[in-house]
Amino acid sequence: MRWIRDALARLRPGVLLCGLALGAALLLAAPALLSEETGAPAKAAPPSGPKHPVNLRPVGKPARMATGEVDALGAPIVVACSTCHSLRTEESPATKPAELTKFHKEFPFDHGERSCLACHNPKDYDTLRLADGRALPFTHSLELCTQCHGTQARDYKHGAHGGMNGYWDLTRGPRTRNQCVHCHDPHVPAFPRMQPTFKPRDRFMDAHRDAPKGGAR
Amino acid sequence: MPILQDLNAFARHSLRSATRGNRLYWLWMGLLGICIGVGIFSYLEQLDGGLIRTAMRDPVSWGFYIGNFTFLVGVAAAAVLLVIPAYVYHWKPIKEVVILGELLAISAIVMCALFVLVDVGRPDRVWHLMPGLGRLNVPSSLLGWDVLVLNAYLILNFVIVSYLLFSMFKGRKPRTAIFMPLVLLSIPAAVGIHTVTAFLYNGFAGRPFWNASILAPRFIASAFCSGPAVLLILMQLLRRFTRFEIQSSAIWKVAELMAYAMFLNLFLHGAEVFKEYYSDTEHLVHMQYMFQGIGEHRAIVPYMWLSVFCSITAFLLFLIPKTRRNPVTLNLGCVLIFSGVYIEKGMGLVIPGLTPDTLGEIYEYFPTWIEIGVAVGVFGIGAFIFTVLVKIATPIMLRASAGEASAEPGSGQPHRQRTTGQD
Amino acid sequence: MKPELTRRTFLCTLAGCAAAAATGGCGDITHTSFFRDNFRDLEKEELQQILAELEREHSKTYGKQVTVGAAQAQPGVEFGYALDLSRCVGCRRCVYGCVEENNQSRDPQIHWIRVLEMEQEKGIDFHHADAYYDPETVPEAGKFYVPVACQQCRNAPCVKSCPVGATWQEDDGIVVIDYDWCIGCRCCMSACPYGARHFNWATPDVPAEEMNPDTHILGNRPRMKGVVEKCTFCVHRVREGKYPRCVEVCPVGARKFGNLLDPQSEVRQILEHKRVVTLKSELNTRPRFYYFFG
Repeated sequence: MRWIRDALARLRPGVLLCGLALGAALLLAAPALLSEETGAPAKAAPPSGPKHPVNLRPVGKPARMATGEVDALGAPIVVACSTCHSLRTEESPATKPAELTKFHKEFPFDHGERSCLACHNPKDYDTLRLADGRALPFTHSLELCTQCHGTQARDYKHGAHGGMNGYWDLTRGPRTRNQCVHCHDPHVPAFPRMQPTFKPRDRFMDAHRDAPKGGAR
Repeated sequence: MPILQDLNAFARHSLRSATRGNRLYWLWMGLLGICIGVGIFSYLEQLDGGLIRTAMRDPVSWGFYIGNFTFLVGVAAAAVLLVIPAYVYHWKPIKEVVILGELLAISAIVMCALFVLVDVGRPDRVWHLMPGLGRLNVPSSLLGWDVLVLNAYLILNFVIVSYLLFSMFKGRKPRTAIFMPLVLLSIPAAVGIHTVTAFLYNGFAGRPFWNASILAPRFIASAFCSGPAVLLILMQLLRRFTRFEIQSSAIWKVAELMAYAMFLNLFLHGAEVFKEYYSDTEHLVHMQYMFQGIGEHRAIVPYMWLSVFCSITAFLLFLIPKTRRNPVTLNLGCVLIFSGVYIEKGMGLVIPGLTPDTLGEIYEYFPTWIEIGVAVGVFGIGAFIFTVLVKIATPIMLRASAGEASAEPGSGQPHRQRTTGQD
Repeated sequence: MKPELTRRTFLCTLAGCAAAAATGGCGDITHTSFFRDNFRDLEKEELQQILAELEREHSKTYGKQVTVGAAQAQPGVEFGYALDLSRCVGCRRCVYGCVEENNQSRDPQIHWIRVLEMEQEKGIDFHHADAYYDPETVPEAGKFYVPVACQQCRNAPCVKSCPVGATWQEDDGIVVIDYDWCIGCRCCMSACPYGARHFNWATPDVPAEEMNPDTHILGNRPRMKGVVEKCTFCVHRVREGKYPRCVEVCPVGARKFGNLLDPQSEVRQILEHKRVVTLKSELNTRPRFYYFFG
C-alpha cells in the first residue's frame, strides 16, 4: 500500500487545488440556487362594482310525453301528462315502471327505491310534488332534487358541483348555471357513459410510436 | 507599430503552417471536410423542416445534441485539469502540455457552442443570450450561467494559448508571472464549467434521475477519465511524429491519475445504482430503463452495458501498472474509457433522465440520421479547428523547446480519438 | 445615448446574417419580431405597433379579421383552477375545445391538456398512467381520469430555468411565454414536472376556417416553428372576465375557475369546503391548479 500513500502525499497540492476550484465553482453558482419567487400577485381588492346576475339555465317543459304514434305528417304525437292522467285515476300507484301494465312499462328507471309518486304529483300530473305534498312546476325540479341530495345541493350552492358558462367576473358579465336535469336524467341519474374523443397523436413519429405504452413497470 | 508587424508575421506563419502538410495531412483534412459537408447538409435539412427531423419530441425534448454538449464540456474541462499534475510534478514540457490541453479545450468549447446552436429551435434569436444586448436570465437560469462560464472559459484559454505561442514565436521566454496566474485561474474555471453544466441538470426537481447531489461529482470524475484519454493519445502521436520530447514517466503518471478518477467514477456510479435499486422507489424506473429496459423499450440498454464494460475494462487496464505502461494496452484503455464515458455522458445521462417523462409516458428516443449527420459535422468542425491549432502550435513549440528553426511537424494528426468520438 | 439605440444599431449590422438565416429556413422572421425587445421591455407605442402588425399579418394569412389583444392582469385578481376528479369521465372534450380555442397546431398535433387514465386501486400514480386509452365508452370500470395541463405554479421551475427570460409569471398568476423572444432551447420543458410545455417541432398548422380570431399576444395567437407554448388559462378570455374554454365545454361540470383573492369565488369556496390536492406537491411548485374529490 506504499504506492497509495506515496501517491496521496505527492497529490496533496493537487487535491488542495481541486478543493479550491470546487469551492470557487460552488460560490460562482450559489446565487443560481437561490430560487426567485416569481410573480407576487397584487394583493389589491378583487374587482367590485355592480354585479351581473347568475342565471339558471332554463329547463324546458318536460311535462309532455310521446304517445308513440305519429300524425299525418309523420311527426310524433306529444301530449301533456294531464291529457291522459286527467282521465285516469290510479288506484294503487306503481312503485316502479316494471310494475305498470299499460303505459310507461319500458321506461328506464334506476333511481334507488323511489316510487313514481315520490316526485310526480298524482293530483296534477303536469307538476311535481315536494315531500310535504306541495306542487312544484317541472321548471323548478332543482328544488325537488335537493330534498334528498343535500351534499350535492351544498356543493352546488358553493359552485363546486355543476357546470357553468359565461363570466367568472360578475362585474363584467352574467353567468349561467346548469340545473340538475341538464346532466342527470331524473329517472336514471347516474351520468351516462360517453364516447371519448380521439386519443392523442402528438408524438407523430410513426404508427407504433403514436401510442406508447403507459405503465412503466 | 512593431507589435502589429509581429502579429502580422505570426498570422502569416500560422497560415503557412496550416496550409502546408504532407499527403496524410491533406487526406485527414479532406475527410474532415466531408464530415463538415455532411453536417451542413443535415443541418440545412433540419432548419428547413424544423426539429421534427430529429427524433426528439415533447417527452424527450433533449437528445443526442445536448448529450454531446455535456460530454464535450467534460473534455474541455478535463483537458485543462491535466495542468495540475504537470504543475505539481514539475514536468519539463509543462508549457507544451498546457498549450495542448488548452487547444483541446478551445476546440471542445467551440463544439459545445455548436451543439447548443443546432439544438435550439430559433437559431436566429441566440443573440437574446448576450448580456446587455438580449436578456440573459442570470442568476436564476442555469443555462444562462452555463453560457457565461463557457464563454469566459473560452476567452481565458484563448488568451493563455495566444500569449504562450506568441511569446514563443517571438523567441521570448513566456513570463511565468503572467501566464501562471491565468493557468491557475483556468483550473477552477474548468471545474466551474463542468459543475455548472451538472447543475443545469441537477436543478430540475421534476427529473429524479438528474436531481441527485452526486451528479456534479460524477461529472467531474468522468471528465477526469475522458479528457486526459484524448491528451494521452495525442502526446504519444506528437512524440512519434515530431521531435517533441515527452517522457514516458509523464504519460504513466497521467495514466495513474486516470485510474484513480476511473475508480471514483465507477464508485459514484455504483453508489447511485445501489441507492436506486435498494430503495426501489418510483424513481428507480429511470435506471431500469437504462440498464434493463422497460417492456419492449430497450433501445439504449445494449449501449449502457457496453459503456459499463468499457469503463470497467479500462479501469483494470489502468490499475495494473504493467498494462498501464504497455503502449498497446494503454491506448486500448484510452479508447475504451473515452467510449465508455462518451456513451455514459452522451446518451446515458440525457435519455434515461427524460424517459419515462414526467407523466410516466415512455417515448423511446433514438437519434435520426439527421441528428447523427449534424453531430458528425460538429465533430468535424471541432477536429478541424483542433488540427489546425495543433499544426500551428507544434512548430512554434518545437522551435522554442529545442531552440531550433521550425521543423516540418509531419502529420501527426490525432484521428483515433476523433473517430471514437463519432460512434 | 439610450441603450436601445445601441442595440438597434448593433442588430442592424446583423441584418445581413438575419437575411441569411431567413433563407436558411427560418422563413417566418419578420422585421418586428427579429428586432423587437422582450415583451416586458416594450414601450407602449411599440407594443401598439406590434399588435397592429400582427393583426394585419394574421388577418391576411387566415383570411379573416384577427384581433391580437394585450390585456394586462387586473389588480386584485389571482386565478385559480379546481378540477373534480370524482366527476371527470375522461371524455377529452376539454382537450379538443382547448385546441380550437387556442389555435393549437393540428398537424403536427399539439395538445395543451393531457388526460391520464389511472387505476382506482393505484391512486394518482403517473408511472402507471395511460394517455392513449381508447375504449368504446368512458369511464372504464376501475379507472379514473386526471387531466393535466399547466399548473400555473407559484414557484414555477420553467420560469426559473429560461435562459433568456422569455417566460414569466404575470401578476394574476398566469405563466406566459413571449413567442417572439423564446429561443427554443427547451430548458423549460425539462424543468416542468407536469409535461405541460409543448414545442413546435415543425411549422404549426391551423386550418384557416377553424382559426379562432380572438387572440392575445401572450396566449393563443398563431405561433411559429421552434418555440414553446402552453396553457395560459385562456388568457384572452379570462382577462375579459370570461371562463376558460375547458370550463365551458366540460360536459360533467368537473372544471371550476375563479379568483383566488375573492372569498366568494367558486375556487375559494372549494378550497374552503373540499379537501384539495396538488400534483407533485413534494416539489414545492405550489400550483394554482387544484384537484378535489367532489
